Amino acid sequence: MALIEVKNLVKQFDDKIVLKGVNLELNEGQVKVIMGPSGCGKSTLLRCLNLLVQPTSGQIIFRGEEITRPGVDVRRLRRNIGFVFQHFALYSHLNVQDNVTLGLRKIRKMSAREATDKAFHELERVGMFDHRNKYPAQLSGGQKQRAAIVRALAMDPVVMFLDEPTSSLDPEMAREVVSVINKLYLENVTMLCVTHDAFLAKYISDSIIFLDEGVVLEEDIAERLFYDHPNPRIREFYLSVVDLK
Amino acid sequence: MTFWNILRVLASGAGFTILVTVACTATGLLIGLVTAMLSRLHWRPVEIMIAAYTYTFRGIPVLVLLFIVFFGLPIVGIRVSPFLSMILSLGLISGAYLSEIFRGAMNSVRREEILAAEAMGMTRVQSFLYIVLPQMVRFSIPGMINEFTSVLKYSPFAYTVGIPEIMKEAMGLAAVTLRGLEIYLAVGIIYFIIYRMFCMLFATLEKRYRIPGLSAD
Amino acid sequence: MTGMDPFLHDLIVFSPQILAGLKNTVVLMAIISLTGFFGGIAVFYLELNGNKICRKMTERYISFFIGTPLLVHLFLMYYGLPQLGIHISPLAVSVIGFTLNVSAYNARYLMTAYNGLDQMELEAARAQGFTPAETFRSITLPQVLRLSVPSLTNQVIQNLKDTSVAFLIQYQDFFAQVQEIAATNFEFFKAYMMAGLVYLTLVSVIVVAARGLEKRIALPGF
Repeated sequence: MALIEVKNLVKQFDDKIVLKGVNLELNEGQVKVIMGPSGCGKSTLLRCLNLLVQPTSGQIIFRGEEITRPGVDVRRLRRNIGFVFQHFALYSHLNVQDNVTLGLRKIRKMSAREATDKAFHELERVGMFDHRNKYPAQLSGGQKQRAAIVRALAMDPVVMFLDEPTSSLDPEMAREVVSVINKLYLENVTMLCVTHDAFLAKYISDSIIFLDEGVVLEEDIAERLFYDHPNPRIREFYLSVVDLK
Repeated sequence: MTFWNILRVLASGAGFTILVTVACTATGLLIGLVTAMLSRLHWRPVEIMIAAYTYTFRGIPVLVLLFIVFFGLPIVGIRVSPFLSMILSLGLISGAYLSEIFRGAMNSVRREEILAAEAMGMTRVQSFLYIVLPQMVRFSIPGMINEFTSVLKYSPFAYTVGIPEIMKEAMGLAAVTLRGLEIYLAVGIIYFIIYRMFCMLFATLEKRYRIPGLSAD
Repeated sequence: MTGMDPFLHDLIVFSPQILAGLKNTVVLMAIISLTGFFGGIAVFYLELNGNKICRKMTERYISFFIGTPLLVHLFLMYYGLPQLGIHISPLAVSVIGFTLNVSAYNARYLMTAYNGLDQMELEAARAQGFTPAETFRSITLPQVLRLSVPSLTNQVIQNLKDTSVAFLIQYQDFFAQVQEIAATNFEFFKAYMMAGLVYLTLVSVIVVAARGLEKRIALPGF
């Protein structure tokens, strides 16, 4: 049984149809990357999967349970998904440690002691332990994103969703974050990642889902997608992506 | 009567001044907070009522409202104590200003952080309590301090309804000694001292709870 | 006129006094808004370009008048000046008291706006050879005024509302007239409610005018 199954997902905003029947599957332990031109609906797709955006029609099945039916427990669903935002979205009034422990204490209902221990452990894993008392405004972009990843990871989610995690970062910081994502990849964390970082797509994924104008054009491994693909839209896209090496 | 004696007599009214100021500010804070939270529900009728309230109570002079409450209401059968009159006038007006301040502060909380809280699985109540409220309060601090000093500066109106605060003591003294210049100078000094004391108090509190990088832009 | 509400009847009978009171209110508001405006600019200039002692004293003045109640300023003038042998009308007393008060606030608003300015422009002006007064007049003041329009117009609204305080020092403004009518027919509730509505209307007029002004002076990039 797949972890996530998406069948014919459609999303319409007012008069614009952003997703026109998307199908995808994610199994436990897999890492898939979603790529495509601007406006293809990548972020909308991700946000439909944890119901931050309400799908117009179609089916999403998460761990065997259909979450697109009415009356679904949205909170419970979201507690099992770790979401990482493009612009970090750290809670600006809390330091790194508190950013991580807030969810642990209030959602996972851990005691302060347990939450702190867990937070310390997770922060150590990504090398952010020394920054635990800093506030978001005092961190660099790469540090902020790493903190955001820890905040999501510490909740022990079943899957991690990353929405353009490196798009707001300069190359050096992007590398910091990519190395963390790589670590998670090697530890078999299930991930779905929207990105236009070709390096990430090539080396840190099991397959790439190419989305264009609301439909999945192709799903394949990087080697076959990036170079001289028969589909002109795909070929055009990857020609314009710089530095595919 | 020496200047020092004048100060001593006036200072006895200071307690009432501070009491009235604190009570009216507290009322204002409560109203401001409640209206801010209500406006989050995005119910049209409620939004209209809040807008009407803030417009009306920021457009009417404090003295006029005070007189409506204290002298006017008894005519239609409602007796109001002097203290309550101050709260229902200065307090309600202060609430209108604080309502605007709090709502502005609430809208300054970054949408993305609230989204992150929801993505984590927090309920709307939780995201309000742990994300919106702490930031909203911090953003409102300059406005709250401003409003407090404003209430302090309208508190002398309390003498018109008989509350024995500084101004009332002063007028009594002036009537007897006819040394208006010194007396009102002393009054000014006492108010100024109270003002500075509260400024220092707020500055210390603000420093204690300041968070690096947290500002409302 | 037997069927008419007695209160309305009184309003009509007393309408000359009411209108006179309204006139006095608006006149006072207009005067102090102007004197307070120019006074504020003057104080702001002193704060900026005066010598060290001047600046210190100006800061003290602003601090004191912002930190103490308006009523105290008015009472100080009204009861204090006669002691010094100065006997002037309630209007004159009000104008002096209000002006000192309003100038302090306006100066503070201007200073706040000034701190938000790009200092480089002012340095460039100095480098070009403008005297402080010229820099002030041609560059600092226009920009600071433009930035302060919301605060300054809010102050005018505040001035209008605060004129009601002048009745406490025997100025025959609109509120004072309302007091007199209420004293004759004891219709305190109706009288004060009507007063409230009148003030609200006057404030609304200024609000509309202020919005219009803000629209007219809006510049791209500001």
